[in-house]
Amino acid sequence: MSGFPSDGLPGEGYGPETSRRYRARLVVEGGLARLIDETGTVLAEGPARHAARIAGGPSRAVLQGGWVFETRDHDALEAALGPARGDWLRRAETWHPRLAAVVAGCLIGVWLIWRYGLDLLVAAAIALTPPTLVAAIDRGNLAAIDRVLAKETALPEVQQAEIAALASAAPPPPHGPYRLMLRDMPMIGPNAFALPGGTVVLTDQFAQTFPDPDVIAAVLGHEIAHVSARHGLRQLYRSLSVYVLVALIAGDVGPVLENVLLEGNLLLSLAYSRAHEHEADALGIEIAARAGFDPAALIRFFEELDRITGAQGPAWRSTHPLSADRARAVRDLLGQGG
Amino acid sequence: MSLTTHRVVFTGQTGAYFGIWIVNLLLTILTIGIYSAWAKVRTQRYFKQNLSIDGRSFDYHATGLQILIGRIIVVVALAAFSLLSAIPVMAVLLPVGLIFLVPWLLNRSLAFNARMTSFSGLRFGFEGSYWRAFRVYLLYPFLAIFTLYLAFPFVARAVRSHVVNGHRFGTARFRFESGIGPFYRAFLLAGLWAVGVGLVAVALLVALIGPIDPAALRGAGPDPRQVLLSLVPLAVLVVAVLPAGFIYQAFIRNAVFAGTVLEGGHAFVSDIAPLRLVWIGISNALAVVVSLGLLLPWARIRMAAYQAAHSHVIVNGDLDGFTAAEAARVGALGQAYTDLEGIDVGLPV
Repeated sequence: MSGFPSDGLPGEGYGPETSRRYRARLVVEGGLARLIDETGTVLAEGPARHAARIAGGPSRAVLQGGWVFETRDHDALEAALGPARGDWLRRAETWHPRLAAVVAGCLIGVWLIWRYGLDLLVAAAIALTPPTLVAAIDRGNLAAIDRVLAKETALPEVQQAEIAALASAAPPPPHGPYRLMLRDMPMIGPNAFALPGGTVVLTDQFAQTFPDPDVIAAVLGHEIAHVSARHGLRQLYRSLSVYVLVALIAGDVGPVLENVLLEGNLLLSLAYSRAHEHEADALGIEIAARAGFDPAALIRFFEELDRITGAQGPAWRSTHPLSADRARAVRDLLGQGG
Repeated sequence: MSLTTHRVVFTGQTGAYFGIWIVNLLLTILTIGIYSAWAKVRTQRYFKQNLSIDGRSFDYHATGLQILIGRIIVVVALAAFSLLSAIPVMAVLLPVGLIFLVPWLLNRSLAFNARMTSFSGLRFGFEGSYWRAFRVYLLYPFLAIFTLYLAFPFVARAVRSHVVNGHRFGTARFRFESGIGPFYRAFLLAGLWAVGVGLVAVALLVALIGPIDPAALRGAGPDPRQVLLSLVPLAVLVVAVLPAGFIYQAFIRNAVFAGTVLEGGHAFVSDIAPLRLVWIGISNALAVVVSLGLLLPWARIRMAAYQAAHSHVIVNGDLDGFTAAEAARVGALGQAYTDLEGIDVGLPV
């Protein structure tokens, strides 16, 4: 037992249930430890456990009955009681040039999470989401829309039947059947949107502004694609995952960097949303074509939209790509270059 | 009995903490956040074990698993909250329900952190009533709005009183009593700095940039003036708002220490110099930003060392006479899981 004084290692003893500190010695013989105070009284006796220490802190031996022995002579205690469990972590944390590799590891790790980790988390969260909850989101929203914003559709029956044909051409729905709804929504104007559970709403105002059945089919195909690719839930979970991850490491990066990360995430989530729009455009025209409609109608629609809305701000701060870009992308997909 | 003044000693070192910090960060990233629970334990243990009074150190006893369980509960609740908020009725009902949960959560969080902290081998504790927390964290701040926040120092004092009076060391209770004067001084001086320096900064910057032609702002090209102008809010934040926060923090900390006694006749002194704290806080923030976060360990150690160096405890007799509370003796372990970690209460004490 190198470095261990035969009359005991000097240090301090702390008793159970009080703040009292004893000047004490720890004697270790044959695997058993004895904590002895200045007057020679044995305070505690029995097997002792060497607790893992942290840089700058004392070495501790935990004895029976809640007694703790503290010393600054780390080597002597280790010699007597053996290495503490979990001590490798303290050695890994020691100030050393190899910490530069740890810094590099952090950067690579952030890239890995951004590239693969988030998708894994999102997939896991979607798998764990009860379908009834998603259906409840649809029901609740539709009820609220009907109460506040919408009236029954005033469109002719024929148009309604055409629209219903699309659902059968779509890929199998992820959370229950697609429900294509027509609603008269004067406050919303010409628009179409999808709820995560499979409800797709098209306003009468849209059908009146763009009466071409091919355009309606392409736009509905786009919304159906959002549902079948679970874009709504994906975006929700992705931003939630990033928020939680940033919050978890925030304790270690500080408030300033946390804000930078959250702002950056906002920009990235916009890029993510725009990628989803392109994906839905591509899948949407496929659905429309399969149902017997002209997919090129989407090009006409975006060009018309571009003409109506005029110049738009830069794409990087928008949830949707620019209409002109979308028209070009669809044109490329359909092989109608230029 | 004799009174002895003990300095609070902090022995943390930048290099040692940097190692803990960067390893924490790496393991947290590689485990997609799971290790953050253990990371918190290591950080807490480092700062507490390197803090001592009269040669007796503090310690932190929570295990990573306890904190992980608390965090899983919080994360699952957050996911459920976001999903359910997509339903219009729930979007109204849930936040209302959450408001009533907040006082309970804050009390549990304070209790958890107190119970997991020890000094000289003895644990702290916290007991706070739900309605008192409801009043100080929700009702009073809400009522203060109607006084145009002029009564805010009363709210600040009520919060500190709730926190300090709920704490005990073993069986010895902390008591906080203070006039309202120091709280108004903190509030007014911080406000004066924010408004005064803010106005001077804006005036200087406007004089520097020159008169602004509104038409130029709408122009498409990146006008250098426009870039300068967009920096004004940042400049005001750095020279006016952040320093005001540190000034407020310094005065409040000094007042809270001065007004606190620990059963047995022990008193506390904090003599933080507000302007010195502003300098440390602002230069820390700038160093962290410029170094892309790498200087954060240095900044934290520097702040902790300054605060410790300006904290003293006036001990009546000695520190040997404290004993554990009955409840802790019976079931500290069983209780731990009903405590929630995950919501930290940011208080400058």
